[in-house]
Amino acid sequence: MLTTSPIERILRGLAITLVCLFFMFPIVWIFLMSFQTNETILRIPPSVVFAPTLDNYQALITGKLETAAGMLEINFMRNLGNSLFLSATSVAIGLLLGVPAAYAFARLKFKGSEDIAFTLLSFRFAPPLLVLLPLTIYFQQLGLANTYGGLIWVYQLIVLPLILWIVRGYFEDIPADIEYAYRIAGHDFWSTFRRIALPLAGPGIAAAGLLSFIFAWNNFVFALVLASADKQPVTVGALAFVTASGIQYGQVAAGIVLSIAPTFALALYAQRYLVEGLSLGAVKG
Amino acid sequence: MTTAMTGQPRPRRFRVSRRVLPYLLSLPALLTCIGILIPFGTAVIYSLQRYRLSQPWARKFNWGENYFNFLSDSAFWNTLKVSVVYAGLTVVLELLLGLGIALLLQKRSRVNNFVSIMLLMPLMTAPALAALMWKLMTNPGFGILSYFATLIGLEDFNWASDPSTAMLTVVIVDIWVYTPFIMILLLAGLRSLPQQPFEAAALDGVPRLFVFWRITLPMLTPFLLTATLFRVIESIQQFDIIYAMTQGGPGDRLTVFQVEAYLNFFQSTNVGRSAALLMILWAITYALSNIFIKNWLRLREKQRGEA
Amino acid sequence: MTISLKNIEKSFKTDTVLDGVSLSVDTGETLVLFGPSGAGKTVLLRLIAGVIEPEAGEIWVNGVNMDGVEPEDRGIGMAFQNFALFPHMDAFANIASPLTARRQSKSVMRQTVDQVAKLLKIDHVLHHKPKELSNGQKQRTALARALAAQPSILLLDDPLRNVDAKLRFEMRLELPRLLKDQNATVIYVTQDYKEAMALGHRIAVMSNHGIQQIGTPEDIYLRPANIEIARLFGDPVINLLSVRPERGANGVVVNLSDTPIEMAAGFEATIGTDCVLGLRPEALHFVPEGTPGAIPVEVETETPLNEKTVTLALTARKREIMVSRPAGSPGPSRGRAYLLVDAGQALLFDRESGARIAPSTHNGLQEDVA
Repeated sequence: MLTTSPIERILRGLAITLVCLFFMFPIVWIFLMSFQTNETILRIPPSVVFAPTLDNYQALITGKLETAAGMLEINFMRNLGNSLFLSATSVAIGLLLGVPAAYAFARLKFKGSEDIAFTLLSFRFAPPLLVLLPLTIYFQQLGLANTYGGLIWVYQLIVLPLILWIVRGYFEDIPADIEYAYRIAGHDFWSTFRRIALPLAGPGIAAAGLLSFIFAWNNFVFALVLASADKQPVTVGALAFVTASGIQYGQVAAGIVLSIAPTFALALYAQRYLVEGLSLGAVKG
Repeated sequence: MTTAMTGQPRPRRFRVSRRVLPYLLSLPALLTCIGILIPFGTAVIYSLQRYRLSQPWARKFNWGENYFNFLSDSAFWNTLKVSVVYAGLTVVLELLLGLGIALLLQKRSRVNNFVSIMLLMPLMTAPALAALMWKLMTNPGFGILSYFATLIGLEDFNWASDPSTAMLTVVIVDIWVYTPFIMILLLAGLRSLPQQPFEAAALDGVPRLFVFWRITLPMLTPFLLTATLFRVIESIQQFDIIYAMTQGGPGDRLTVFQVEAYLNFFQSTNVGRSAALLMILWAITYALSNIFIKNWLRLREKQRGEA
Repeated sequence: MTISLKNIEKSFKTDTVLDGVSLSVDTGETLVLFGPSGAGKTVLLRLIAGVIEPEAGEIWVNGVNMDGVEPEDRGIGMAFQNFALFPHMDAFANIASPLTARRQSKSVMRQTVDQVAKLLKIDHVLHHKPKELSNGQKQRTALARALAAQPSILLLDDPLRNVDAKLRFEMRLELPRLLKDQNATVIYVTQDYKEAMALGHRIAVMSNHGIQQIGTPEDIYLRPANIEIARLFGDPVINLLSVRPERGANGVVVNLSDTPIEMAAGFEATIGTDCVLGLRPEALHFVPEGTPGAIPVEVETETPLNEKTVTLALTARKREIMVSRPAGSPGPSRGRAYLLVDAGQALLFDRESGARIAPSTHNGLQEDVA
């Protein structure tokens, strides 16, 4: 094995520390800020010594924000709820639509299957506004403007390609003979799909679900264009919140912490599958 | 075996034919997405029209005029320049940084694994929220980065609100969010490389720099290419970070394609120009994504073959 | 229960795998499909099982055309070369899967699975998942699954390929009895000629996208249709020597190392043509010096195998010849020795086409009369 000199080890350690500092610092700083009052935030020079307070979180949860201009009602919890509802429903529908399609693409090489799969994949790379801007006009006409249904439909653009391509890879990894054996044993196509293909691709389906949830949660532009305040998820809501809350920066920080916590938790839980998900199934982690 | 079992072929029940089945399974997903293709067609039509939301009566086809006008439109050239500079800067810097970090963390150890998981956090942060975090950090009143700037003698360093440093600021945010993406892909690539060439080189005492250039880098090329193309395609379309941070400002400093198109549509209500801008962006990303998909497929085949 | 295939054609993309294959198997018969890998044996089984479809041709099972009949409705049992066990189910559930499909009651299912498992000596591992089973146990589980529903048609795709030599030997002895008890029509795929000879009532030799010869094991061994088949059967492989038959004093002779060897009657037509003489190693015998018709050879090496001893010898023209004799019987030491050919077992092939030349019995009879 390569021997490493002490100097090299120190340099490596230093480099890793710097990297961690750069990438972790903003998160830590915002996290600390969320427990501070405006006075401690505005101190110069800043200090890490302060009496932590839960006021910011309390204000967010009750929806009553005290600002210099008086009492302000901002329903940030509603944004959180919207994020949760939009992401969860989109993923559920995405799985319902995407998993059978992924199976068809993986197992039943039918005419045009590759072309269709790639068309779906290419949606992933098209500029979202190209579709969104005309869609605002259509949604007005269809009565889908500012509805959860409309948003969930459009969210399929994020969710479906991801699910399709990851789950397809997992289906392809199941030896065809195993499914053949079940068919020959006397089970029809659907029970083979249910009892063999689905359980064996289970981990992949779970991973695709978690990842697409994260992507849906983190989406900004779809809701920015298509949703108004009462339907907006946290990504859009937080932006409005900054301007609305005046100078209660601790509350903004607390809002950010609440908004990023769920994806962090899911990412930690699904980290084994992140590489695969981020590369749309091309690279195995 | 006492149970008499019929081995006779059972009578045919009604069932979906093998030919129809695949379409039946994929149709719902397809229909969902085809609904999206219609607006795409609409966008093509808009881009060929004189169409302002404020003057719906004056809406008519002007064919290539929106595109033709771009030639003499300095705002368009600014958009193109800003987008390319943004994509170029972010991708090159992220690539270098990501490769460096991946090499640092290449060896599997508990510390390295922990660090690589920690580094995923920025990537898991919604880009819009990341921009907001950095906006707070660069706030002239209490932002910690503004404070650091004064510490090193940069008085009135205004980050994103100063035309001269706005690009730098959003690029840093982009780097913060997306470097981990490149890092994690390259790390997976590095760790999947066969070990023999490296062991042989180490036995022969080949200099490590030479090993890096002649063995590591060539073997890592498919991963580098995939990561780069992926990022270029996303970066040239960047909207979230820039919009959340500066809304394209100050002035027209950061009016990249999608931001410019958004502002055209909602502020100046010039639908035609907005659509034409997006069509050009689409053409760029379409060309890139074709190259990308080919390369991505090859990588996928290879990785699945080895699995 | 019969299986009959008529002119089956199958290709994958542009590669032809089967080109006009016809075949029929009778009730209770075990037909072995034998041939090198890539000959299309597995594809043929899958076509019969219905998991893939032919481009052309018909598959009939007991008088019913299988076109459009789904695999689950064909009432077939199949064991795969790679076992294809369901990894998320234990051995019991694996074996019971054909019974669940036939909606058997719990008690019947338990009874049946126990019976098959006992028969195959895996009753002690029924609650293990496939990954906890040894290769031999996996193989037996796969076989048990194929047998569980007592299908009247069994397709066995080289089930002994992936098990160790000892188990393969045991199973080769066990399988014929097992298959006989099932009273099923069996198609058995193998690449091992001994397995083919031991198990098959008939053997179908496959290569070049089709069936080269179908016959009893004895037929295939003693009367191979061509050189290729003659080489596939027998260990050590048949000796093949280029010869040009001539007219001799008592019929046709071929010259080996300037020693004329008298062929059996009926080869008159081959006189003067280019032929290949096929001599099985056991059709050659060492004899003392001076025996009439004996060929002088140099003994190179001697290899004792289980039940026989194989000698590699060189003729005067430096052609290699393999000779086998029962183990323990006396043989030559190194150096000069003499070989006598059992002309009755000698085979003649046309050198160009490779086809075996059958002695014409008609001519032979006439000569006898004369």
